[in-house]
Amino acid sequence: MSFLQDIPILSILLLVPLLGFIVILCLPKHRAGWLKTAAVITTLIPLALSLWLYADYDNKHGGEGYDESAAWLQIPINKETATNADTEMVFSFQYALGLDGLSLPLLLLTGIVTAMAALAAFHVKKRWKAFFSWFLLLEFGMLGVFLARDVFLFFIFFEITLVATYFLIGIWGYYNKEKAANRFLIYNGLGSAIMLIAFVMLVNTAGFRIEETAAGAYQYIYSGSYADIAANMADPNAFVNLPAEATGGVNPFQMSDGMMWTVFILLLVAFGIKLPIFPFHTWMLKVHQEAPPSVVMIHSGVLLKMGAYGLIRFGLFLFPEQAREWAGVLAVLGVVNLLYGAILAFRQNEFKLVLAYSSISHMGIVLIGLAAFNEIGLQGAIFQLVSHGLISALLFLIVGSLYERTGTTELTELGGLARSMPFMSGVLLAAGLASLGLPGLSGFVGEFLSLLGLFESMRWVTAVAVLGIILTAVYVLRSVLKMTFGPQKETFAALKDARFIEALPMIVLLAFIVLLGCYPSALTDTVDFSVDGFMKLLLATRSGG
Amino acid sequence: MDTYTNIAWVIPLLPLAGFLVITALGRGFRAASVWVGSALSLASFVLSLLVLIERLKPNAVDYNNGFDWIRIGDYTLTIGFEVTNLTALMLVVVTLVGFLVNVYSAGYMKDDERITVFYGYVSLFSFSMLGLVLSDNMLSFYLFWELVGVCSFLLVGFWYARPAARAAAKKAFIVTRIGDAGLFLAILLLFWYMPEHSLSFTMIESVFDHQGGTITAGITTLIALLIFLGAVGKSGQFPLHVWLPDAMEGPTPISALIHAATMVAAGVFLVARTFDIFQASEAAMTTVAYVGAFTAIFAATIALAQNDMKRILAYSTISQLGFMMLALGLGSWTAGIFHLFTHAFFKALLFLGAGSVIHAVHTQNIQEMGGLGKSMRVTAWTFAIGALALSGIPPLSGFWSKDAILTVALEQNPLLFVVGLAAAFCTALYMTRLFVLVFLGKPKAAKASIAGAKESPAVMTAPLIALAALAVIAGFVETPWNGWFASWLSDEAGASHGSALAIVLSIAAGMLGIVSGWLLFGKRRERSGAGFAERMPGLVKLAENKYYIDEGYEAVFVKGLRGLGTALAAFDKYVIGGAVKLAGVCANAAGKLALRLQNGQVQTYSLAAVLGIVVIVIAIIGRRMLS
Repeated sequence: MSFLQDIPILSILLLVPLLGFIVILCLPKHRAGWLKTAAVITTLIPLALSLWLYADYDNKHGGEGYDESAAWLQIPINKETATNADTEMVFSFQYALGLDGLSLPLLLLTGIVTAMAALAAFHVKKRWKAFFSWFLLLEFGMLGVFLARDVFLFFIFFEITLVATYFLIGIWGYYNKEKAANRFLIYNGLGSAIMLIAFVMLVNTAGFRIEETAAGAYQYIYSGSYADIAANMADPNAFVNLPAEATGGVNPFQMSDGMMWTVFILLLVAFGIKLPIFPFHTWMLKVHQEAPPSVVMIHSGVLLKMGAYGLIRFGLFLFPEQAREWAGVLAVLGVVNLLYGAILAFRQNEFKLVLAYSSISHMGIVLIGLAAFNEIGLQGAIFQLVSHGLISALLFLIVGSLYERTGTTELTELGGLARSMPFMSGVLLAAGLASLGLPGLSGFVGEFLSLLGLFESMRWVTAVAVLGIILTAVYVLRSVLKMTFGPQKETFAALKDARFIEALPMIVLLAFIVLLGCYPSALTDTVDFSVDGFMKLLLATRSGG
Repeated sequence: MDTYTNIAWVIPLLPLAGFLVITALGRGFRAASVWVGSALSLASFVLSLLVLIERLKPNAVDYNNGFDWIRIGDYTLTIGFEVTNLTALMLVVVTLVGFLVNVYSAGYMKDDERITVFYGYVSLFSFSMLGLVLSDNMLSFYLFWELVGVCSFLLVGFWYARPAARAAAKKAFIVTRIGDAGLFLAILLLFWYMPEHSLSFTMIESVFDHQGGTITAGITTLIALLIFLGAVGKSGQFPLHVWLPDAMEGPTPISALIHAATMVAAGVFLVARTFDIFQASEAAMTTVAYVGAFTAIFAATIALAQNDMKRILAYSTISQLGFMMLALGLGSWTAGIFHLFTHAFFKALLFLGAGSVIHAVHTQNIQEMGGLGKSMRVTAWTFAIGALALSGIPPLSGFWSKDAILTVALEQNPLLFVVGLAAAFCTALYMTRLFVLVFLGKPKAAKASIAGAKESPAVMTAPLIALAALAVIAGFVETPWNGWFASWLSDEAGASHGSALAIVLSIAAGMLGIVSGWLLFGKRRERSGAGFAERMPGLVKLAENKYYIDEGYEAVFVKGLRGLGTALAAFDKYVIGGAVKLAGVCANAAGKLALRLQNGQVQTYSLAAVLGIVVIVIAIIGRRMLS
C-alpha cells in the first residue's frame, strides 16, 4: 500500500478526537442525542484506524514506516556557557510520533476501550456537552501518550489525560466525587512532577546531540527526542568518533552511574504511582469507587496502563542495566502487589473496591513479567496490560449497568441477579473467569507467560506468586457468585436484562477477550519484534560492556 | 490407512459445535438443544469407536498433530493432539458415557426451565474433556484441565438459586485450583528443565525413561509430586477430597458424567500419562501409593455412615479413585487404567440409577426410602448389577479390575494389600446397606412420592440397561489368565500373572462385606442399622461427620484468610492511609508557613530577597573555590 505511505496516518489518528472535540464545542448543549452520536462516531474513527494499522503492521520490520516528525520548539540557550563561541546551543523539542510493537497494542486497546466507554456513557444525566468534550480530550491525550516519541510531547499528553480525568471524576462522579478527584490530581500531579524532573535530567544528558550547521560550525542540541535519547543510552561512546573541535575535547555524554540510578528510580516512582505499585495505591481506590462507570472503564482499562507503558518505554528500555540489577526488587514488589491486592479484594464488601484491589493485584503480574527480564516475561507483562485493560473495562461496564438498575454494588445487598438478568450475569461470570485466569480467555496468557518468564531466574518468588492464582479464584468467585447466584431478592425481581445498546459493547469486549485467549499469537507476534530487538540490544550491550 | 485416527481431532470439535449452536439458539429451543446435544455426542462416540477399532490392529502407529500457539523468540508453545492406545480408550469411555448421559438427561431434565443451558454446558464439558484426553503436551493438557474444571463448576452450580449449590460450586473450583497451582508449577519446572523446553508427553517419556538425563533426582521428585498435587485435587484424593461430596449439589446426570466417570478420573489419567516421571522417583511412587490406599479406606469408612444416596456414591468414587492411585503408585499403571475403565461404567450406572430413584421419590435420604425394588424394577436390577460390580463380585467387571490392583499390592507391599482388602470389604458393606435401605423392605417415611414411586421413562432406563451390560462384560478384557488389555495398552508383551491368594481373598472380602451388610441392615431392616451405631457411637459419629475435616479447613484456612484480610485491611487503612494523610498534613503545614511569608509587607519580601541573593552568592563563590 505504497500510496498510503505519504499520508500521516498517525497524526490523523491522533487529531481525530481533537476535531471531534471542536465539533462538540460547536453543537448546542441541550441536544444530548447529537452530542452523544458525535462522540461515538469520533471514537470509532481512531478505533478503525488503529485496527487497520494493527492488521497492516509488519512485525518483521517493527513498523518503521510510521515515524512522523516535525520540528516543534527550538529554544536557544545563552551562548556564554558554551566552551566554543562558534557553537550554537538549543533545546529542541519535536512533534515526533512513532509506533512499535509495544505501543501498537496499547493504541488499539485505547481505541477499543474508548469507543466502548463512549457507547456506555448513557449514564450521563447532565452537562452532556462538557462531558463529551472532556471525554474526547481524554482520548486525544491517551492516544498521544502512546504515540509520542519526544519526552516533552509525552509529558504534555500525559498531563492532558490528568486534567481531563480530573474534571470527568469531579463533575460526573458519585457522592464523594470532589474528594476523589482531588486526591487523584494531587497524587498523579506528584507523579508528573517527578517524571518531569527525570525527563529534564534526560534531556540535558542523554538528549545531547551535535550537528554540523551549513556554515561549518557546530550546533549543540539538547533534544527531547526519544530516538536520540535511546541511541545515546544504548551507545554512550557515540561521541568518541566526533572531531575534537566538535565535542570541545571531552566526551559530552555525561551520565554518571549515580545519575543513571537517580533517573531510573525517579521514573520508577513516577510511573509506579500511576501503575500503581504498593504502597502508592490508595489514590486509585477512591477513583474506582467514585468515578462514573465509563470513566473508570477508561481509567482502569487504559490510564493505569500508561504507568506500565512509561515504565517499560523509559525505565526498562533506557535503563536496562539498572532495571536488571533491580529485577529482584521489581519481582518482590510485583508479588506484594499480587497477593496484597488479592487478599484485600477478598475482604471488600463493595464490588467496585473488589475490582480496585483486583487491579492492584493484576498489575502485580505486570511487574512480575518485567522483573523476569527475558522475552517470555516481557511478552507476558505486555499481554497482561492489554488483557487486563479489556477485562476491567468489561467489568466496569457491567458495574455501570448494574448500578443503574439496583442502585447499589454492595455485595451484601445483592444476590440472585442471574434470575432476572441472565445475560448480564453470564457476562459478569465470564469476565470474572477471565480475570481469574481461565485458559481460553485472555487473562490466563498474561499470567502464564509472566510467571513462566520469572521462573527462569527467581523460582521461589514465582512459587509464592503462584499462590496468587488460588487467591484470585477465591475473591473473584466470592464476589461474583454473591451477586448473581443464590436466592433472588424480592426487590430485584422486576429488573430488566441488558438493552441492546448495553449488550453491544459487552459482546465486543468479550469477543476480544476470547480472541486473545484462544489465539494469543495475534498479540504476541506483534509485540515480538520490539521485545526481541530490545533483548538483543540488551545482550549486545552486556557482552560489550 | 488410519483414516479415522488422522481425523481424531474432529471428535472434540463436534460437541464444541454443539455448544455454540445451542448457545446461539437461546432458551427457546428446548427440544432442539436436546437433539443437537445428543446427536453430536453420538457422532463423536461413533468416531471414537472407529478410532479405537483402528488402534486394535497390531502395530498401530501413534498419530500426532498440532499447531503453534505462542511463539516468542526461540520459544514455542504448542497445542497438540495425539492418538495412542490409551487416549483412544479414554475417547471411547468419555464419549460413550457422555452420549448415554445426554440421552438420560432428556428425561431427567425435561421439566427444567434451563434445559438448553444444561445441554450447552454438557457439550462444552465434552469438548474440554475430549481435548484433555487428546492433548499431546502438558500445556494444552493444562488448558483443557482448567476448562473441564470450570464446566464442572458451572454444572455443580447449575441450580444457582440454592445457596448450597453456590457454596458447592465455589468450593469445587477453589479446592481443585489448589491442586492446579501445583500442576502449574510442575509445568514451569518442566519448561525450564526439559531439553528444548519441550512439554510433550513423548519427550517426557524419552527423557525420564533413561534416567541419566539432565534432570536431577530432587527436581524429578519435585515435578512428580507437584503433578500429583494436581491429580489429588482433580481426583478428590485426601486431603483435597472435600469438594467432591459437595459437588453432588449438581444435577445427577452430571454427577455420573463428570464426578464419577470422566473428569475426576482425569487425575489418574494425568499420572498415567506422565508415568515415567513418577517411575524415576521412588519417593513420588511411594507417596502416590500411600495417598491412594489411605484415601481408599478413609473414604469407604465415611461412605458407611452417610445417609444421602448421592453422597454415599461420591465417597465411593473417592475411594475407588484411591484404588486407582494405589495401582499407579505400585507401578502398574495399566491396572489403574483398567479400574478407571470398568469404574466409569458401573459408577455412571449407579449414579444414573440413583438419579432415577431421586427423580421418582424426590428425596436423597436413604433412611426415608425402602421397598422401591417392587415399583422400580429396571432401576433396581440394574442398580444391583452396578452394586455387585463395585463390590467386586465375579464375574462382573469391578472384580477383575480390583483384583488386578490387589494382586499387584500383594506382590509389592503386603501392608497396602491389607488396606486395599479392608477398603474392598467396606465397599461391599456400604453398597449392601445402600441397596437394602433403598430397594428392599418397606418405605420408612410416610411420603406419597415413595409409596407411589413409578419407574422412570424409557429414555432414562435404556441408558441404565446399556451401562449394566457394560458393567457385566467390560472386565473380560483382562483376566488373570488373559493379559490382553495391559499388553495392548502399554505396547509391551505383558505376562499376566494371576495370584490365587489375591483372588480368593478379594472374593472373600466382597462376600463378607455383603453378608455382614445383610446381617446388619437386612435382617433388622426396621431398625435400619441402628444397632451398629449403638455399639460404637463415637466411631459412627466421626464417620458421619466426615472426620470433621471440613470443619478443620474452615477453622484454619477460611478463618485464617479472613483474619489475614482483616489485618491487612486495617494496615491499608491506618498505616498506608495514615502515611498519605500525614504527607497531606505536612504539605498543608508547609503551605501555611509559606502563606505567612505572603503577608503583604514589602519589607519582609525584600528581606527574603536579600537572604536569597546571599545564599546564591555563597553558593557560586563556594563552587568557584572548590573547582
